[in-house]
Amino acid sequence: MRTATRTSFRAARASRGRRRAGDGAGARRGALALAVAGALALTAAGCGDSGGDKDKSGDKPAPGRSDLITHTVQLPKLNGQKLKVTAVWTGVEQKSFTKVLDEFAKRTGAEVAYVPSGDDMAAFIGSKVAGGDPPDVAMLQQPGALREFAGKGWLKPLSEEARAQLKKNFPQGWQDLGSADGKQYGVYFKASNKSLVWYNTKIFTAAGVKVPATWPEFLRTAQAVADFGVSPVSVGGADGWTLTDWFENVYLSQAGPEKYDQLAQHKIKWTDPSVKDALTTLGQLFGKKELLAGGQEGALQAQFPTSVTQTFSGGEKAKAAMVFEGDFAAANITAAKAKIGTDAKVFPFPAVGGRPPVVTGGDVGVALKDGQAAQALLTFLASTDAAGIWAREGGFISANKNLDLASYPDDVQRSIAKALVSAGDSFRFDMSDQAPAAFGGKPGQGEWKQLQDFLRNPADVEGTQQRLESDAAKAFKN
Amino acid sequence: MTTATAVPPPPPPDSVVRPAPAPRGKGRGALGTRPWVAACFLLPALALLGALVVYPIGFSVYRSLFDASGHGFVGMDNYQEVFTDARIRTALKNNVIWVVVAPSVATALGLIFAVLTERVRWGTAFKLVVFMPMAISMLAAGIIFRLVYEQNPDRGVANAVWVGIHDTFAAPAPFPGAHPRPTGDLVASGDGAFATKSAARAGSAVALPLVAVKPEDVSGARDAIPARDVAGKVTGTVWMDFSRGGGGTAGKIDEGEKALAGVTVEAVKDGRTVASTTTDPDGTFTLPTVADGARLRLPAANFASAYNGVDWLGPSLVTPSIIGAYIWMWAGFAMVLIAAGLAGVPRELLEAARVDGANEWQVFRRVTVPLLAPVLAVVVVTLMINVLKIFDLVYIIAPGSSLDNANVLALQLYQSSFGTDVNQGVGSAIAVFLLLLVTPVVIVNIRRIRRDRQR
Amino acid sequence: MSLQDTVVRGERSLPARLAARLGAGATRGFLVVVGLFWLMPTVGLLLSSLRDKSDIAASGWWQVFAHPSQLTTESYRTLFANDKVTHSLLTTALITVPATVLVILVGALAGYAFAWLDFPGRDWWFMVVVGLLVVPVQVALIPVAKLFSALGIFESTVGVVLFHTAFGLPFAVFLLRNFFAEIPRELLEAARLDGAGELRLFTRVVLPLGGPAIASLGIFQFLWVWNDMLVALIFADSGNPPITVALQQQVRQFGDNVDILASGAFLSMVVPLAVFFAFQRQFVSGVMAGAVK
Repeated sequence: MRTATRTSFRAARASRGRRRAGDGAGARRGALALAVAGALALTAAGCGDSGGDKDKSGDKPAPGRSDLITHTVQLPKLNGQKLKVTAVWTGVEQKSFTKVLDEFAKRTGAEVAYVPSGDDMAAFIGSKVAGGDPPDVAMLQQPGALREFAGKGWLKPLSEEARAQLKKNFPQGWQDLGSADGKQYGVYFKASNKSLVWYNTKIFTAAGVKVPATWPEFLRTAQAVADFGVSPVSVGGADGWTLTDWFENVYLSQAGPEKYDQLAQHKIKWTDPSVKDALTTLGQLFGKKELLAGGQEGALQAQFPTSVTQTFSGGEKAKAAMVFEGDFAAANITAAKAKIGTDAKVFPFPAVGGRPPVVTGGDVGVALKDGQAAQALLTFLASTDAAGIWAREGGFISANKNLDLASYPDDVQRSIAKALVSAGDSFRFDMSDQAPAAFGGKPGQGEWKQLQDFLRNPADVEGTQQRLESDAAKAFKN
Repeated sequence: MTTATAVPPPPPPDSVVRPAPAPRGKGRGALGTRPWVAACFLLPALALLGALVVYPIGFSVYRSLFDASGHGFVGMDNYQEVFTDARIRTALKNNVIWVVVAPSVATALGLIFAVLTERVRWGTAFKLVVFMPMAISMLAAGIIFRLVYEQNPDRGVANAVWVGIHDTFAAPAPFPGAHPRPTGDLVASGDGAFATKSAARAGSAVALPLVAVKPEDVSGARDAIPARDVAGKVTGTVWMDFSRGGGGTAGKIDEGEKALAGVTVEAVKDGRTVASTTTDPDGTFTLPTVADGARLRLPAANFASAYNGVDWLGPSLVTPSIIGAYIWMWAGFAMVLIAAGLAGVPRELLEAARVDGANEWQVFRRVTVPLLAPVLAVVVVTLMINVLKIFDLVYIIAPGSSLDNANVLALQLYQSSFGTDVNQGVGSAIAVFLLLLVTPVVIVNIRRIRRDRQR
Repeated sequence: MSLQDTVVRGERSLPARLAARLGAGATRGFLVVVGLFWLMPTVGLLLSSLRDKSDIAASGWWQVFAHPSQLTTESYRTLFANDKVTHSLLTTALITVPATVLVILVGALAGYAFAWLDFPGRDWWFMVVVGLLVVPVQVALIPVAKLFSALGIFESTVGVVLFHTAFGLPFAVFLLRNFFAEIPRELLEAARLDGAGELRLFTRVVLPLGGPAIASLGIFQFLWVWNDMLVALIFADSGNPPITVALQQQVRQFGDNVDILASGAFLSMVVPLAVFFAFQRQFVSGVMAGAVK
């Protein structure tokens, strides 16, 4: 479940970036962080009951019963039409997304096939485009990919109906993220807050540590957990993107949003001192073998789902105490048979500089083929109905401002979603996702690869910077 | 066959091409039919081969001379990129390793198995077991070996065995990872050992607090108790200085803090160990008078991290590991061909050598292997061609973090042809390059047919 | 100096016999160990597929020997509850069977022509076909994708079948031509005298006589196509893919999907293994085609 993660926002597109760079924006970001923190604290206070909501709230229809789900969107009849939809989701996420697609099929009569794209979505789509028959709709993980595909002419602009839904439900910032060259192509169906640290409450209690708010406190907490005898931090380093997310959070908080936007667009080089500071800071964690579950080698072997499950499966006997990642980790936590709100809780990524960072991501639906059916599906994905279906399943956050917060299965997720919606667009989108895919979005290359090498050898800050810069220069072609 | 990558294992090029005696008689025309009849029989095959095999070769050659967009003529630039781009060069280098190592190891194993099974009654059963992996897909084999190579020794059988062997020779430490708090009297003394800064005095109990002991290592331990002061002896306690639910007071044995039993404690004077003991179940230890005035040291053997095995799929070992999976699949192929060859070796020759007093090794080395040379050559060449096209195994087994280190030409071709940063020009150039690599075999084949025909 | 000089000729000494016996024991022991070693990965997959996902995450498959209660068919039930998997097995069969039949049919026609019919440049054509034996499939990916796109059979089972047929043909033609060439000439001429036309001759005499070679070829092609991933990955209908591709789509998060992957992989192996065990003889003779005739 890279899911939401791989998404990113175009938040840093030049114009908006600049606009937001002002003080007001900073304050708003701070406000969001506070909101998240507050909401989470609320949860931490112990009102997290998961699962019960759907049955309790009488007006909340049981999922899967189409006639009970509110119909806020008009969809055409598409009897007999066939649609192919691709996304990277497998496992739990595939199950949830399939529920969304089933509802669409039920309402329109279209036949929808979900195709997991495998690890390398770009290669999958590329091979199908080469044969002239791509999937109808793809859930892209990066705005960088959206721009790249739009530039190649692979994408079809959104229909009027889809745009109307989008306008009705999404703040401007999220709409902009799905556009390229002035045309609206994408619907940010799934969003995520990637500045969260999930922790195992039983281990925290046993080790007698408290939730940290700043980076030094975070390191102290980690050390205390290590002293207790449990690995404090689980890092899913086999998936390079978790490492880019680590870096982005540290960098955003430490270097500030302006630098963040500049680096995202490669206007400053990776050899910049600010990058050095961020890597050095990150090295305070990555460099200490006893702070990482399995040490550096173990971290590099752990894929994201493993990194989450090993933090929560077995309760106090789990292999680690904390795991950093987005809200979507909730699905894996549930899979590890831990209860969100009691066994698993969350705190905002600690502030390295003045303010805690808020990095977001998301998956954007785009049409790769002409046709009423593809547009109808995108319209549906932009609607409150579709968001509600997955929200009920968990592991999903929507930026849809009209989505009833009661749809979320527990208070933790509800609070994360609430913070996201109320923030409008005062945050930064995942940096690596804004970069060309060759740098920010492919296994074994570019930023993913270089940060994995950094995790292997955290002392080599300078070499890492140089390699990052040379890869970036190649990918950005400047 | 079993490989998505290969054409059915190309019949061993050598022998393969030993056509049955060409029908002779009325000219070369076999049955004296009219050419159009032949054309009807040949049409489907030639049409399919022409459209799906021959035309693509021509297209690839042509396409490889153009840039990514397909419009700009770039001459040999794409080929130049194949030899200069860092990632493609890794692929080239790995392909060389593959071509050299995989066929030779598989053939050597096949030879050994074939010779050894020859005189064992249940040899057929053994052959079946070794040959079986050829029937499964590289995808399935890839999933199988993902499980085998799992890094965690609790889950991956390769590391479980490896760690098992390792631990038989070096017993695991009782409290891996444990260490003192940085602020106490115990400090690191190099090589993973910890020693007190101050000298121990007989008659006054010493506290040796440690932290970071894994909960499972002290799950059944007794509570630690302060050691009694014993006149003339150096006593003390080694314990886990961390109370549940909060750290407790550093350096003090708080209620419920666990004793560390079986920890080796040494008394060191002037760099020499003068006495040594291990802690009791309540964490206490007693050293003789000679330890008076010595520094107490807890040697590294107490704390060595558990040996965690080998990082099979890490960047440095990923290619050899995948080659291991390939050999698992294909050693059976070599074995079966060689066994068949072996059956054709005249018994008298072997017997004669034995009667002459040669031992089995000498018979093997001087008689069997030379007689098998042609078969061995066939096997090696067949495997080389097969290995050049390796794709699925690498694609499935290599985790994202070391995919680049495991890169091979066929995989690079796939990535260059599709996906982000597509450059079908480069993809086509790699395809042509692969084709060139197998051409020598084609030429040898054709020559052989020619020769046989002219006989 | 010859070997005779160093070793007593004839009857072996007691130590030599002892050594021979010991050697035989060591050989057996070695083979048993290697055999178990070779079986282990497959057994590991099977046992993993019979354990719960959380058990797989916690410990290795060998733990079932200590805790047999861990055995469960849960993974398989999950797999079958998802009709996609059963469907993908069907798709695999729908690709494999036609591709095998076609390659035999088309290959036999051409093999017969190369063996017994008269046409200009026969040997030359045959060499070209044999030369194509080693062409890597990768060469054809891009051009054939474009070609299939133009024909409207990209993303379809038909395309995959044609692709496999084409790439199976060189081997088929080669194998069958050599086999057919050994049919006694008298047999064919007698049939001809009886008034059989070429087609009749082919179906009534040549094909039946080619049984063994056709069987070998069939097994080969069957296994190759069944086990293929790359070709299907690009040309097959991604919404209704064969089992290899369906599993590949799940490999992304290996640890998370390990239950489906282990059971699915094992399931995908059942048919090829059954074919392998049922037709080992033909399979081996296919492997050795020509080599040791």
